[in-house]
Amino acid sequence: MRRVLVTHIESPVGRRLAKALFHDPDVALVVGVGREAEPTFLAPYRGKIAYQRLDLAKARHLQSFLHSERFARARVDSVIHLPFAIEQPGERVPGGLPSLVSETRRLVEECVSRPAIERFVYLSSVFVYSAEPGNVNLVSENQLLGFDGEGDLDVRAWIDADLICQGELHGSALRTTILRAATIVTETGEFLNSPPLRPGPAPVGYDPMLSVVSERDVARALVLALHADRAGIYNIASHEIFPRSQLRESVRRLGPIALPTALGGAISLLEQALGRRAAHTTAFHRYGIVVNTRLAHDVLGFEPQYRIEVRGQGARRRIDAVRCR
Amino acid sequence: MSVDEVAAGGGPALGSDPFSQGDGTLPYLLRLRETSMRIVTEARTPPPRRASEAPQEAPDLGPPIPELPSFEDRDEAAGTLDRLTGLLLTRRDDDRLAQLFGRLEGRPYDEFGASPRVARRALAFFKLLYKYWFRVQSSGHAVIPEKEGAILAANHGGLLPFDASMVVADGILAGQPPRLVRTVVDRWAGSLPFVNVFYARVGQVIGSRENVRELLEAKQLVLIFPEGMAGIRKRAADRYVLQSFHLGFVEESLRHRVPIIPVAIVGADDQAPLLYDAQPLAKLLGLPFFPITPTFPLLGPLGLLPYPVRYEIAYGEPFRFHEEFPAETADDPHAVRYLAEQVRRRIQEMVDQRVMARRAKRA
Repeated sequence: MRRVLVTHIESPVGRRLAKALFHDPDVALVVGVGREAEPTFLAPYRGKIAYQRLDLAKARHLQSFLHSERFARARVDSVIHLPFAIEQPGERVPGGLPSLVSETRRLVEECVSRPAIERFVYLSSVFVYSAEPGNVNLVSENQLLGFDGEGDLDVRAWIDADLICQGELHGSALRTTILRAATIVTETGEFLNSPPLRPGPAPVGYDPMLSVVSERDVARALVLALHADRAGIYNIASHEIFPRSQLRESVRRLGPIALPTALGGAISLLEQALGRRAAHTTAFHRYGIVVNTRLAHDVLGFEPQYRIEVRGQGARRRIDAVRCR
Repeated sequence: MSVDEVAAGGGPALGSDPFSQGDGTLPYLLRLRETSMRIVTEARTPPPRRASEAPQEAPDLGPPIPELPSFEDRDEAAGTLDRLTGLLLTRRDDDRLAQLFGRLEGRPYDEFGASPRVARRALAFFKLLYKYWFRVQSSGHAVIPEKEGAILAANHGGLLPFDASMVVADGILAGQPPRLVRTVVDRWAGSLPFVNVFYARVGQVIGSRENVRELLEAKQLVLIFPEGMAGIRKRAADRYVLQSFHLGFVEESLRHRVPIIPVAIVGADDQAPLLYDAQPLAKLLGLPFFPITPTFPLLGPLGLLPYPVRYEIAYGEPFRFHEEFPAETADDPHAVRYLAEQVRRRIQEMVDQRVMARRAKRA
């Protein structure tokens, strides 16, 4: 019976995960932490899920919680860390995602120093991979990460956090599992953590293919990783892939505004002058990433249960996750 | 005679002069129309349901049939292009495409970004080239496996890769059964705007080990041009002389235990004879080469159009290295080079035979 600490439980994925863990007979207790006041959706689960408000980005908050009587009583033996999934649609994280690198490092160090904590599951993103030329790039877990100095700041933060967790994969008593999720489709038809789908300019002539996955399937994969016997890195995605243009139409977001490639340098300068990140030049706007999920299927037994569909056309286009398997 | 009289059963009397009463067939035609109208009306009216007839449950016919791709999808507006495509393709062509993309089970794209709808449009265009521009003659389809994976190793030529498109069209139009040939495209092409999208939508893949491995494990046909870029930028004087081979295709064949089918393509080297490769200009423009041909750059972009040469595609007897050597041989560079050289020689022989036959015919 697992006793689990879940970070950022108030995020869309955290919400799904809370429900899945509540119904999991092999989980005895869940301690959810988040920046906000206790979310109302946790009310029906109070018998099994306790909530603690704290800011993981602040070392003092984390330290005081980990040394508290409450944490000692919980006897937590597993941690599920959702660092990036806190980004809500249309909302930016205060301080930006780079602050999550420090919280991930701190959390991993605390877990390593506590022998009682046996398992650590980290939800990463497929956008940590390096995007090579091509409309589709099928990538497996051993693909190089995108150490691009000029890349998106958020993506660089995900890569750093991913690397911190990778450091515990071998030679550590902490059994670490990293799940790299594709663009997450929420129940309301929004997307989480997908740099190519953010508003902004994009070069003309490119329409990269992207893997997608339902938030419910991500929650299922996290539960599978929690109970899995083998540590490792696994890609998580649905079987369906879509071009960026269709996904953008489905959420009716403005842009990306297609611009000739030759204007890329000028646009980047303009963006930097306006205090924005120079997203136009990042490879994700030109080259697609489609992930190979065979390892997750073979080792974790992960099989997506939700089929992602894009229905309608033009302004009526919408995305939906349909239970099919 | 009025219509009412005809309806009442009246008609011209027997023995009377039919020409004196206008068209004698009119009454019979009117009666025929009335009869047919009555039959149609009766057929449209549902018979009254008897009180004893209760609605019955649908019979259990087993699991539903996997959804085949619909080319008349309401989701995508059937524009002029689709109507034109419908005129160019026959029912048989559509059936063959449906066989190829049936495994998608309704998904709009496969894992490499191929779209059945775009592939259909492209096939309509390339079918015109296949039949009327290049007048392709192909032989040796029997060596192509019906379901298993294989590597097709072919010679490369011409400035634009029409040789690849003709092999793909041949696989769909003439294959027994139809097979979708996946061409491995140079990484440089993957960075070109619009081109990268088109290649992906018609099922072609960028040349990475991961892609090739995935295709072969999915038992697909993979077309590789082992000469690489050197094949299409060779000068007219060197046409039909195979350049040195890259070795990756032999390694993948050994690792994934699939045969290598040598393919000779004759005609591609004549479609746009290269007189000179202006390398300094190519470096300036960031291109792998800058061709000077009898028509390019003299006629602008039109000069890149291929000449209407006759194509010949021949599939040779497969090399089954995987039956003779273990998978570890892929790690031995000397052995791999030796095996690749065997394939190169075979393709060169096949090409030479056909070129000689052509020259003899012309003479």
